[in-house]
Amino acid sequence: MKTDIQKISEGEESIVIRYKELTPDLNKIIGILEGTGSRLWGKTETGTECINIEELLYLESVDDKLFAYSGDKVLKIDGSLNSFMTDLDDGSFFRCSKSMVLNVNRVTALKSLSSNRIDATMEGGEHIIISRRYASDFRRLLKGER
Amino acid sequence: MKDEKKITLWELYLTKEIGIEFKACLYFFAILFYYCCYRMLNGIFDASILHMTVLIFTCYIIGYIQVYVLWNFDEADSMGVKEVAGMIICTALYSVVSWFGNWFDRNIIVTLIFAAYILFTYFCVFLIYRSKRRIDDKKLNEDLKLFQTRHKKSE
Repeated sequence: MKTDIQKISEGEESIVIRYKELTPDLNKIIGILEGTGSRLWGKTETGTECINIEELLYLESVDDKLFAYSGDKVLKIDGSLNSFMTDLDDGSFFRCSKSMVLNVNRVTALKSLSSNRIDATMEGGEHIIISRRYASDFRRLLKGER
Repeated sequence: MKDEKKITLWELYLTKEIGIEFKACLYFFAILFYYCCYRMLNGIFDASILHMTVLIFTCYIIGYIQVYVLWNFDEADSMGVKEVAGMIICTALYSVVSWFGNWFDRNIIVTLIFAAYILFTYFCVFLIYRSKRRIDDKKLNEDLKLFQTRHKKSE
């Protein structure tokens, strides 16, 4: 992509984006420019869509593909769980297993299971198991010790 | 930083081992109590060191079987067929060892009561663990609400 940057001394500052196809990367840039950086862009069966990060219930990595789930949408997004946690986590997301990240603000109830595992019930009614490897860290997060 | 806090495989193994140690002690004292009662009722006021040694070894071995083979049934989330089967298998093992180890002078009635006692102990331990988890549920949900309130305030 050609980048044309011009310094001006007078007049209003502006950014013009010329594109042939609206890609997720472009959507991210537009999101930053419009001050809606906390939106996540991804592909659905019908095309490219976006959702607010706060609306996400959880993210799951399946066969090296990353899916974001809200109550009614499933988006295939670029990147990995690690990059999501580094770039977009606002403190409300938690890595609950090797392949999953959940939004703690969208958890409705927690249940203590045997072997120190935790069952998290999400707003949509889904149950996500926090493995015992991550459970201690999750307890610390809830207590604000992380 | 986050990875340093994550539980390592060694810590997971150690947690399991401590759990087995705890189980061994718990069941050892429960069985020892029954054994002592039996001895006292027979007018004997000392315990055989050999019986106690066999008893503690048996508790350890059955503890390992419980955790690694029989689905850790006394800590299970609910009581199902698997859990009941686990309880019966372990009770049978204790009863067989008590018979061959001559803990109760190979008295069939005392051995049968011993089996019932072990089953009852397993059931009580299951209930204790379940109550502990229910208390933990309350704490977890309180912490969750606090977390969500904190997070909403900071937004």
